[in-house]
Amino acid sequence: MKSASKFSLFIVITLLMILPAQAKDMIIKEPPASLSKYYPPESKEPKWIQQMHKMSTHFGGVFVNLKEKDFENVDKHADKLVEEYKKTSEMVPEWEDYFDVKAAEAFAEAAKTHDIAKAGKASGGLGKTCGKCHAEQEVSVWTKFHWPSFHKIKVTDPVSEKEMGFDDYMGQVSSSFKGVTVNFGEGQYDRSAKALKTFKSQYVELKSTCSKCHTTDEVKRFYVGNDADTAFAGLAKELNAREPNPGQFWKNVGLLGKTGCKHCHLTHRTYSFIQETWEEK
Amino acid sequence: MKLSTQILNLLTAIGCFAIAGIAVTHFLINEKFEWIPESALELVRDKALLERPEAKRCSECHQDIYEAWKESRHSISWTSKTYIEASDNRTKEKCLACHIPESVKGEKPSPRLDRRDEGIYCVSCHFVDGKMNGPYDLLALPHPTHRNPDYVRSSFCGSCHEKTLKEWKETGVEDTCQDCHMPRKKGRLTQKLPLSLLHQKKWVGNHKFLHGDLTAEDILMDAGFKDNFFNLSLLNKTIPHAVPTADNGDPRLYLYITFFNEAGEQVDQAKEILAPQQETALAFNKKADFQYRLFNPVSQANIVLKYQPAWSKEKELVWEKSVRSEPK
Repeated sequence: MKSASKFSLFIVITLLMILPAQAKDMIIKEPPASLSKYYPPESKEPKWIQQMHKMSTHFGGVFVNLKEKDFENVDKHADKLVEEYKKTSEMVPEWEDYFDVKAAEAFAEAAKTHDIAKAGKASGGLGKTCGKCHAEQEVSVWTKFHWPSFHKIKVTDPVSEKEMGFDDYMGQVSSSFKGVTVNFGEGQYDRSAKALKTFKSQYVELKSTCSKCHTTDEVKRFYVGNDADTAFAGLAKELNAREPNPGQFWKNVGLLGKTGCKHCHLTHRTYSFIQETWEEK
Repeated sequence: MKLSTQILNLLTAIGCFAIAGIAVTHFLINEKFEWIPESALELVRDKALLERPEAKRCSECHQDIYEAWKESRHSISWTSKTYIEASDNRTKEKCLACHIPESVKGEKPSPRLDRRDEGIYCVSCHFVDGKMNGPYDLLALPHPTHRNPDYVRSSFCGSCHEKTLKEWKETGVEDTCQDCHMPRKKGRLTQKLPLSLLHQKKWVGNHKFLHGDLTAEDILMDAGFKDNFFNLSLLNKTIPHAVPTADNGDPRLYLYITFFNEAGEQVDQAKEILAPQQETALAFNKKADFQYRLFNPVSQANIVLKYQPAWSKEKELVWEKSVRSEPK
């Protein structure tokens, strides 16, 4: 091998070894217990996120007013930002290192010069403190406090009338779905029709499951709504026909998958996986 | 005049004054309490009663209402096992407003931080803007009382029971939530002397918040066999909201159908779950139709309707019927 080729190979191998290590990884750790007191039920309102909104509003308020040359309000927002930033820095002891009160004060000072360029430059130091915490903690906080846990949900199987965990229940739903499709594929239409009754009752039961967290019917219907009704009616029609039409059957299976299963899995599964990892600790 | 006559006259006079006093007080308290100056009432007010007292404190006067409330689901809205399980140990934010309401005023309440174990208690519904509120304008010496006509209107209950209120409105039935779930009886608002005697009896709503029993007169059934199908319909004939109804709870009606052949052997079965969360509850006066394909010859269907309240895992039998197919 020529020396140039050897060198190229060495570079490629080195890059392959270095690049993954340099890639930006995200580690999702469970937030500290002390944060719980700023979220229901320990708190009447989600105070932590309200606090984030307050800081964000005052930060934004500085720039909005600088552009509008409303300097009285620039000063007010700058002072309030420092006040809220200090308050926030004391709320979760485990996170105090994320905060740099001097950076907040420096930003307020720069804002009060009413020079937008100076304020912009000083915002960088402050912004970094926010960004670091958000990068490391935001997903965790949302997963823990804004997404109720699936793994604690109990579902009563409409067929056996036994109460079971959500994961086990989804296993049952999946099995009964296979009972419909596998039997249909084998041409055993009566068995498929019977399995459809089971699958439909288990699938519709998920509306009750949704309602354990969601308060609006529209959300439930997003997953188990008109499309699901249409799909089930279509499947039943084919299975009750003398000669079922496979094209129509699979079209309705697809409709159910796309508008029901996929909607829910895309929305919920990622958070559910993270929660599951924490709960296994 | 003899001494005994003098004493008798004196006692008679005292008696007359006492009767007149009671009569005047009764008249004042029941008819013209606005004549009593607020400054005089302030002397006998118990200020602690206007600081969101616990239910037990209210029971010192309103014993009967307290006892009824203690038996109600409202009194255990925070402590019931079902709620704790369903709310993931009370962590679900959506439940808080109505399970521990601070003040119910005809719109979604805010949750409160104090006295959570009391659930939906006296203060939640009756303490508004620094006064005790209720359906009557009357004189209560220990605390000011304000009449609010909303207490006999369905909209008040609709603060939390929003979906049920909507269902009821759609029926056009005039009977309010309170008419059925808080039936009124003439009685005393307080059981503490002397107010219990001085106040006139009034219509007092049952604070147990009754939950009616379902019967075959409420849910009608019509069913029959045709070709290789069994058709069945149910009709909620009497209850002016969906059955079952709930905003967030999960009460259910279970309809079980068992099919038998001529030899009396079971050949198939079917089941329906009629539940508000599945949008399958029985709307008022609207037929719900079901159809079952029969895979084998069937000569009889036995139909059983059971009810499972939101707070229980036990099912109660509503009715049981059977339908025979016409001989071919």
